[in-house]
Amino acid sequence: MTELNPALPRATKKWKKTLRLYSQQKSLFFMILPWMIFTFIFNYLPLTGWIMAFQNFRPGKGYWKSPFVGFDQFAFLFREQGFWRAFRNTLAMSTMNLVFGFVFAIGFALLLNEIKNTYFKRTVQTISYLPHFLSWIIVCGLISNILSTSDGAFNNLLMWLGIIDKPILWLGEPKYFWWIVAFANVWKETGWNSIIYLAAMSSIDTSLYEACEIDGGNRYRKMWHITLPGIRPTILVLLIMNLGFILNAGFEVQYLFGRGLVMDVSETIDIFVLKYGITLGNYSLATAAGIFKSVISIFMIVTTNYLSGKIEDERLF
Amino acid sequence: MKTLKKVMAVLMIMAMLLAIVACGDQKTQGNASTPTATPSSATETNQPELQKDPETGLTPMANRTPITYHMFIRDPGQAPDPNNPVLKKITELTGVTIEWEFLVGDLNEKVGVMLASGDYPEIMFGADAKKFFDAGALLPVEEYILKYPNLRAHYEPFLDKMKAAFDGEHAYTLENYNLERIQSPIFQNGGAGFFLQKAVIAEAGYKVPKTVDEYFQMINDYRTKYPTIDGVETIGFEILCDGWRDFCLRNPALHLLGSTNEGDVIVDQTTFKSSLYQITDTAKNWYKKLNEEYRKGTIKPDTFTQTYDAYMARISTGAVLGMFDQYWNFQQADMLLRSEGKYERTYISVPIANPGMKDAYLEAKSGTISGTGGITISTKCKDIDRLMAYYDWLLNREVQDYLAWGIEGKDWVKVGTVGKALTPERRALNQDNTKRRDLTGDTLWQYSPKMQGLYEDGAPCSPGDSEDEFFAGQSEWEQNFYSKLGVKYPAQILSEPKKMPAYYPVWAFAIDDASPARLAKAKLEDVCRKYYPQLIMADPAKYDALWDQFVAECKAGKPEDYLNEVDRQIKILMDAAAAAGN
Repeated sequence: MTELNPALPRATKKWKKTLRLYSQQKSLFFMILPWMIFTFIFNYLPLTGWIMAFQNFRPGKGYWKSPFVGFDQFAFLFREQGFWRAFRNTLAMSTMNLVFGFVFAIGFALLLNEIKNTYFKRTVQTISYLPHFLSWIIVCGLISNILSTSDGAFNNLLMWLGIIDKPILWLGEPKYFWWIVAFANVWKETGWNSIIYLAAMSSIDTSLYEACEIDGGNRYRKMWHITLPGIRPTILVLLIMNLGFILNAGFEVQYLFGRGLVMDVSETIDIFVLKYGITLGNYSLATAAGIFKSVISIFMIVTTNYLSGKIEDERLF
Repeated sequence: MKTLKKVMAVLMIMAMLLAIVACGDQKTQGNASTPTATPSSATETNQPELQKDPETGLTPMANRTPITYHMFIRDPGQAPDPNNPVLKKITELTGVTIEWEFLVGDLNEKVGVMLASGDYPEIMFGADAKKFFDAGALLPVEEYILKYPNLRAHYEPFLDKMKAAFDGEHAYTLENYNLERIQSPIFQNGGAGFFLQKAVIAEAGYKVPKTVDEYFQMINDYRTKYPTIDGVETIGFEILCDGWRDFCLRNPALHLLGSTNEGDVIVDQTTFKSSLYQITDTAKNWYKKLNEEYRKGTIKPDTFTQTYDAYMARISTGAVLGMFDQYWNFQQADMLLRSEGKYERTYISVPIANPGMKDAYLEAKSGTISGTGGITISTKCKDIDRLMAYYDWLLNREVQDYLAWGIEGKDWVKVGTVGKALTPERRALNQDNTKRRDLTGDTLWQYSPKMQGLYEDGAPCSPGDSEDEFFAGQSEWEQNFYSKLGVKYPAQILSEPKKMPAYYPVWAFAIDDASPARLAKAKLEDVCRKYYPQLIMADPAKYDALWDQFVAECKAGKPEDYLNEVDRQIKILMDAAAAAGN
C-alpha cells in the first residue's frame, strides 16, 4: 500500500506518530487541562465583550439589541486629544519604569551577589523585597507624607542642606510627576525583581570564576565578563515579556496621585478607560481603547521576540 | 536558563494557587451574604395574635417570616453593628433585615460596575435612578404606594411628578427629602457655604463678614494674632481638591453670584437659561483673590494635593480658620471638635456674596421633589410587596418616633404639650458617630421613607426638626455666642431661605450616558480642576494670560452641549409644573 501512493501514507504515518506521542503524554495533557480551562474562561471568554467596541453599547439593551456602529468608536478615540495624551503618559511612565526597573534590579543583584556573608546577604534580600508586599495605597500615603510641604521629610532635608529656601510642592508640579512614579516603582519593586537575577546568578558555573581569577581578573572583571553574560538570557526573556506590558504603566499610583494640577501628565490609558467607560458610561469607547492597547501589546511582544531571536538567538516562543 | 524556567514555573504555580484561593474565598463570602433566613427569629412567626411589644409599645407586623434585603447606599459610611438593639427590635417585629452596603470610592464608578456586571442590589438609595431605569433594572412602585395607607398619604401628592421624571407611565422612586407636610425652621446651613471658625467672629467683636475681602481680612487678623492654635500652626483657608469632593475648589463663584447650589451651571431666575459661572468675572476675581492669599500664606500649597482624610484630620485639630465646603462634607470633624468641648473651634456659615448681592445659601424647603432621588427597587428584589408593606409599617408615627427619638423617658422627654428634647445621655450618643450608628435606629431612619418637619399637631418628626432640642443641645459658650450676634440660631445670620422654582436643582438632572452633554460636562469639570489650582499658585503677572488660556480651553470643550441639555430639561420641568398649576 505504501508503495502505491506515497503522499497519503506518509501523512497517515505522521498522524499515527503524533497520535502515539499524544497517547504517551496523556498524563501531561490531563495535568495541563485545568489550566487550559482556566485560561479559556479568564482570558478568552471575556474577549466576546470586544463586540461592544463596534456597537453603541447600552447595558439595558445588551449585546443583541445595541446598534452596531462599525469603527465609529475608534474614529472618535483617535480624534480625542485626551486619549493621545493618555497614550503618551502611559508610554513615558512605562518606559521609565522599565529602564529604571531593569537597571536598579540588575545592579542591586550584582552587588548583593558579591557579598560573601550569607546571613547578611539573606537579611538584606528579605528586607529589600518587603516593600513589594505593601499595597500601593500605603506606599502612596508614605510618599505623600515624605514629600509634603508641611513638615515633609524630603523638603526639610533639602532646606537643611540649603538647596531650596522654601518647600516645593512635589506632587503638584507636572514636571516631577513621572519621576516620582518611577522612583516609587523602584523603591517598591527593586528587591522583588532582583530575586530572579540572583537565582540566575547562582546557577553560573563556579569554575568560570576560577578561570577568570587565574587569568588575573579582579572582582569588577568577574562581574563584567562572567556574571552579566551569565544572566543575559534571563534579562532578555524578562525584557521581551515586559515590553509586552509596555502599555501597562500601572494604575494605582497615577490614580492616587492624580489631582487636577498634574492631570495632563498623570492620566494613563487605564485611567482614561475607567473615566470614559465606567464613570461616563461609554462602555463602547472604553472597550475600543482596551482593544487598541491589546493590539499594541501583541505587536510589541512579537517584534521584540523576533528581534531577540535574530540578534541573540534567544526567543520566548 | 534551566534554573530560570524552574523559578518561573514555581512563581506561576504560586500565583495561580493564590488566585484560586482568592477566588474561592470570594465565592464563600458571596454565598454567606446571599439572603438567608435567620433561624433564631423563625420561631417567632408562629404567634398569630399581634401583641404590642412591651418594651417599645409597637404593634408587630402580621407576616414576620424572616427575610433579608440587600441595600446599597450612595453615601460613604459604615453599616451599623448587627447587634444594634433598635435594628434588632425592628427585625423582631417585622421579620425584615436590611443588609447595608455603603459606598466605597467613587459613586459613578460603582454604579458603572454594577450596570456593566448586571449585579444590582435589591434596594438602592440615591444611586443614579435614571441609569438603572435605562438599563431596565427598576421595578415600578406606584401600585404599592396606592395599596398601603401610610405610603399613600406620604407619596400620592407627588405621584405625577414621580412619573413624569421617568417615562410618564410609572413611578420608580420613593423620594426621601422635601416631603415635609409642615416645615420646621432651618437651624443651620447643612449645605454649601463659606464657613468660618466661631472664634474668629468672636475675636473680631462679633462681626459677621459679608464680602470676600472682609472674610479674608478677619482670617488674616486672627492668624497674625494666633500663629498657632493648641500647638498646631494656624491655617487660614483650606481648599479640598480630592476627587469628586472638589466642589470646594470649583463652586464658590456660583454662590458669590447669589445663586443657590445648582452644580456646574448658574441659572438665570427670570429667563431660566443656564450659563457658565466658571468663566465669569466673579470667578476671575475670586481665584485672583485666592492667588493673593496664597502669596500671603493664608492658603498652604499642599491643600491642592491632600486627600479627604488629611483634610478632615486638619479640620479636627481646630487649627483651620475657614473653608468653602458643604457642611455634611466636614460634619464629622465639626462634631468631633464639639464632642471635645472646643465649641469656639466649630464652624458657622457666613453670608458671603459679591458686594451688594444678596446671599442665597439657604433654600426654602420647596415641597417639590426631584422625582429621581431616593429609594429605588431593582428587578433583583425578592419580594417587593413585602418590602413595601415594611416601609408602610415604618411610616407609622409610633415607629417613626421610636427610630428617630427612641423610647420616651429613656431617650427623650416631652417639652410643653407637643415639643420633644433628647435626654443628655441620648444626646451624647447622637453626637458620637459610632455610637449613633451602632446603638440607635439612625441608619434605618435615614435610609427608609421617613417623616420630616412637623406633624399636624406641631410635634417635631425628628430631633433635627425640634426647636427645643436645638436649644437644649447648644453649649453655654454657643448660646452666649448667638446672643452676642443677636440671633436665635446660626442660620439667621444668612439671608432668608430662598424659594426655588420647580426645576431646581440642576445638579440632580440625569444626563444620558455617553451623550455629548455628558462628555461636555466631564470636560468642563476637568478643565476647572486643572486650571484653578494653577491660577491660585500662578505668578500674579501671568494671571491674566493664564486665565484667558483657561477660558479658551473651557470653550473648546463644547460646554454648549451641556448647557443646551440643561436648558431642555429645565423647560420640561417648568412646563410640567405650569401644567400642574404650581
